Amino acid sequence: MHELDRLQASCLLEIEDCDSLRKIDLIKNAIFGKNGKLSGFLKNIKGLSDEKKREVGARANAVRAVIQERLEARSRVLEMAELDKKLAAESVDVTLPSRFSQPGTLHPLTKVIEEVAGLMSTYGFVFADGPDIESEYYNFAALNMPDHHPARTMHDTFYINTSADDKGRKLLRTHTSPVQIRAMLANQPPFRFFSIGRVFRSDYDATHTPMFNQIECLMVDDNVGFSNLKWFISGFLRKFFGAPNLQLRFRPSFFPFTEPSAEVDLNYDVVNGKIVFGSGQRWMEIGGAGMVHPNVLESGNVDPSKYRGFAFGCGLERMASLKYGVPDLRGYFESNERWRNNFGFNHATRE
Amino acid sequence: MRFTFGWLKRYLSTDWQASEIAERLTAIGLEVESFLDPEETFKKFKLVQIKRVEQHSNADRLKVCQVADAQGNEYQIVCGAQNVRENLIGILALPGALIPGSGTLLSKSKIRGIESNGMLCSLEELSLPPEGDGILDLGDDVDLSVSVGDALEFQGGIFDVSVTPNRGDCWSVKGIARDLAAAGAGGFLVPEDKIHQNSFAFSLPIHYDNSSACHKYAPVMAFGVIRDIQNGPSPKFLRSLFRSIGANSISAVVDLANFLMIDTGRPIHVYDLDKIEGDLTIRFAKNREKFVDIKGNEHVLQQDMLVAADKNDVLCLVGVMGGAKAACDHNTRNILLESALFDPIFVSRTGSFLNINSDSRARFERGIDQDSCVPGLEAIASLVMDNCGGTASSIHVVGTHSQLERTIEISKAKLSHMSGCDVQWPMAKNTLKKLGLKEVSSSTNSSVFLAPSWRADLNIEEDLIEEILRLNGYDSIQEKEFGIAAKNEDVLWKREATVIAIKRLLCSLGLSEVVSYSFLKLEHADAFRENHKLVQLLNPISEDLSTLRPSLVPSLILAAARSLNYGQTHVRICESGNVFFDSCLQETRIAALRAGDYGPRSWIGKNRKADVFDVKGDLMTALSYLNLPEHRVVIKPQAPSYYHPSRSGTVYVDRKNIGHFGELHPKINKLFSLGETLLCFELLVDKLPANRPKISNVGNKVFPRIIRDFSFVFDRAMPVGSLLHAIYGLDSTIGEANIFDLFDIDDQKKAVGITVTLEAPDRTLKEEEAKVVSDKIIKFVEETGGKLRER
Repeated sequence: MHELDRLQASCLLEIEDCDSLRKIDLIKNAIFGKNGKLSGFLKNIKGLSDEKKREVGARANAVRAVIQERLEARSRVLEMAELDKKLAAESVDVTLPSRFSQPGTLHPLTKVIEEVAGLMSTYGFVFADGPDIESEYYNFAALNMPDHHPARTMHDTFYINTSADDKGRKLLRTHTSPVQIRAMLANQPPFRFFSIGRVFRSDYDATHTPMFNQIECLMVDDNVGFSNLKWFISGFLRKFFGAPNLQLRFRPSFFPFTEPSAEVDLNYDVVNGKIVFGSGQRWMEIGGAGMVHPNVLESGNVDPSKYRGFAFGCGLERMASLKYGVPDLRGYFESNERWRNNFGFNHATRE
Repeated sequence: MRFTFGWLKRYLSTDWQASEIAERLTAIGLEVESFLDPEETFKKFKLVQIKRVEQHSNADRLKVCQVADAQGNEYQIVCGAQNVRENLIGILALPGALIPGSGTLLSKSKIRGIESNGMLCSLEELSLPPEGDGILDLGDDVDLSVSVGDALEFQGGIFDVSVTPNRGDCWSVKGIARDLAAAGAGGFLVPEDKIHQNSFAFSLPIHYDNSSACHKYAPVMAFGVIRDIQNGPSPKFLRSLFRSIGANSISAVVDLANFLMIDTGRPIHVYDLDKIEGDLTIRFAKNREKFVDIKGNEHVLQQDMLVAADKNDVLCLVGVMGGAKAACDHNTRNILLESALFDPIFVSRTGSFLNINSDSRARFERGIDQDSCVPGLEAIASLVMDNCGGTASSIHVVGTHSQLERTIEISKAKLSHMSGCDVQWPMAKNTLKKLGLKEVSSSTNSSVFLAPSWRADLNIEEDLIEEILRLNGYDSIQEKEFGIAAKNEDVLWKREATVIAIKRLLCSLGLSEVVSYSFLKLEHADAFRENHKLVQLLNPISEDLSTLRPSLVPSLILAAARSLNYGQTHVRICESGNVFFDSCLQETRIAALRAGDYGPRSWIGKNRKADVFDVKGDLMTALSYLNLPEHRVVIKPQAPSYYHPSRSGTVYVDRKNIGHFGELHPKINKLFSLGETLLCFELLVDKLPANRPKISNVGNKVFPRIIRDFSFVFDRAMPVGSLLHAIYGLDSTIGEANIFDLFDIDDQKKAVGITVTLEAPDRTLKEEEAKVVSDKIIKFVEETGGKLRER
């Protein structure tokens, strides 16, 4: 019996000392193999009595179970250690730059166009469009600016090298208002349109570029008044600038295509060098508006005795600059890398 | 329009402060661009008299002056002006003063070792028109206790008002006062019309053809002569007044005419009678006739321009500008005065053709008081005689002015509809009356008004409504909500939304959006016009911006060049916008450009240059927004001539050319002096299918797919991409087909690995079915000239 105890003790010691899975196999073989220690011991009990044999056999089975259990446990430990070692050898420097490719940026004008279009849509306005190359008629005469009207001199017009037709000379539109006429002619009142697009004026200095963008909207119905105009523009601008307390000042002005006409000012304050809308008592001009002139309605084939309307327009770059702090008008068209990085938008940004 | 508060008060009795007046002016549409408050501006300035002048011990050109103010405080001032003298009264700026002319803050200083406690100011330093060199010399006997503003005749402050083009009447102090009175800022003081004493009959022969077109452009003209005047420098009050509003003083008679123009809006032309040779004729200019204006500029006239001429020369381009020949000077003794009415369109056309901007033109083209010819002549004659003496002739009038009575009906209902709120009817009518409109008849619901002669802009009911709302303040109109109509489908916005969505997709690929001008340099545009005609500006701002772009590509190249110069190694940009050609056709495009590396240099993988398949990929990503089935998109190896002839392609959808892509031709690189290979795609937005096709309902169960790989041998010239399209069509079970391997075997042959995925929407495919499809593919490829490769 002592012999079995000794055998168990020496095997367990050997297992405990084993430091690799390969050695575990050798040990296993050295114990349980054909010429293994335990097999050798069992061969030696052939001469014992049956009773003794049973006793010793049972004891030997118990020893085998203990050893086997130890072997498995040790194997698990060693397996784990070897995996750890292997994984440690597979290490990568996760601080290295990834395969991520920096997305490009969306131009702020595109962002503002989407915002404006979304807002217009909530007020029931639908998009209308017109060509960049316009006729004198749509750009001026139809908008109550006959030949030599002094207001035409406010629009330094680019003319193009195409012969005139019954709608006059061809020019680059100086405002988006010709779209009003085209949209009115193509539809039956009542209507609500908005338009967005490039306009062109022969002017180039620190605050003027020969091309810029305007937004414009027109509402015509049988009972529209100046009070509706005020409500719409206030709501639209408060939402656009995200300033629910924004105050507006409607200042009388002159546009040939509207009467009465107004320029729209916003109140603002400068806090730490930044413009904050809706607080303070300073005023900044944002756009023009007014009740559509009856001559313009007539140009659009709308009976001014039955319908009235209002129109509102402003410069898109100005809206973008004021909302997103873009400082220089020229930057919009200079496609400068740094400007793009500063003022461009991630393509996934939506509001 | 610049004028002083004091001047305004000649026509307006008011107890309002200047700041209140300024606020109201803006509120009624006469925007105050600036108001110069003398108290504020001259806080740190005072009147001083020079007591002693000594030479600066350390500088030849400097003097050391001891000056004293009204209280007897003395200041030591170092001054470089040559006109300093004892007893001179001038204006001293004290340390801390903001000098208006230079915008600098004055501080105490030592000039060449001698302390200077302020500065004696010149007119320029006070931001006023200079008169000679040196410091301002107010004389010796001015009361030192007078404020600087009063000494400079600022009369309570200087308004600078911007007048809208419809308001000819407000190009006068009188007109502005009338508007203010109607807006409740005080009472309008109507001055008495002056009648001058005439001593002899007007006798200068004036030829004016009443029946000709000249009558159309100058319907009525009044003339008068004044003899034996003393012309010379203007009276002091006028010089100070002009100085304060920044106008130049010329001579007494000219200044008086200008004064009357600013005062009442009535332009007057003054001729030196003795310089007129023979009779005066009002006629059209001869073709290419020369005219030298009062400033000495020569103009070449056209036959549709009206002039006043003597027997030899044009004396005046009437309504626009006077001439040099009969201009008044300090020796002028006898004058001819002209007060006329000119057609606004004619004045505007002449002025803009010759590019002459004058105060007279500004008023005539906006419309002046139709009845002011004779009263204007009376007024100027009185002013001249009061200030320069002389005796006047009777007034001679040529032409007639048959003024249309402009009566305008206004209804209560329209007024409240237009405003959207209740407006007090009696108050509304009162406002119109204050503006000079006469009520000629009225009923309970409407009134008829006669428009005054000075308001040519009032013609229709809306004009009157605007006046009422404007003068009572837009602030008093309450905001009123309107219903949000049932939304119509916004058909046209869809296209804009598609363009934006595609740009978002391109951004996700690393491309950044740029916005460029629609115009280019001619030679840049020319390289991209293909068979089209370019559209050019007749009056470009510069040669670089002279031609409308026929393609977005040159705009992108210019932007890329800026990026490359900035040091960018991988340019990735896109743009959307219109292109123009053939007179006035315009099309919308989206385009993108890559240049340089594919992306930033990285430790992962090998850095490589961007190539054709990158921009083709960009284009395909853009198209993916349209959800087009593969078979509708066909690529052919051809493109416009600015692309590399064998590294470019055209994309067709339903046989319509919808875009191009490829490497740009080296001639383009040369044109823009760029070394980097340029890769572009262009998408013709107008040609795209209108709607994204709906994905048909194919059920949502999936069955295992079978993948089959083939290796074929082809001639090297065979375009294998188009084979894939054909393979899709071979069997309905073919879900995907792609090329996974490609290499040249030798000079003639290439090996192409094609992988095909088979699937059915309703069952698991059997091996036998897959075999049938595989055989179909092999048979098809062999018919096109390919061969299955031996293993």
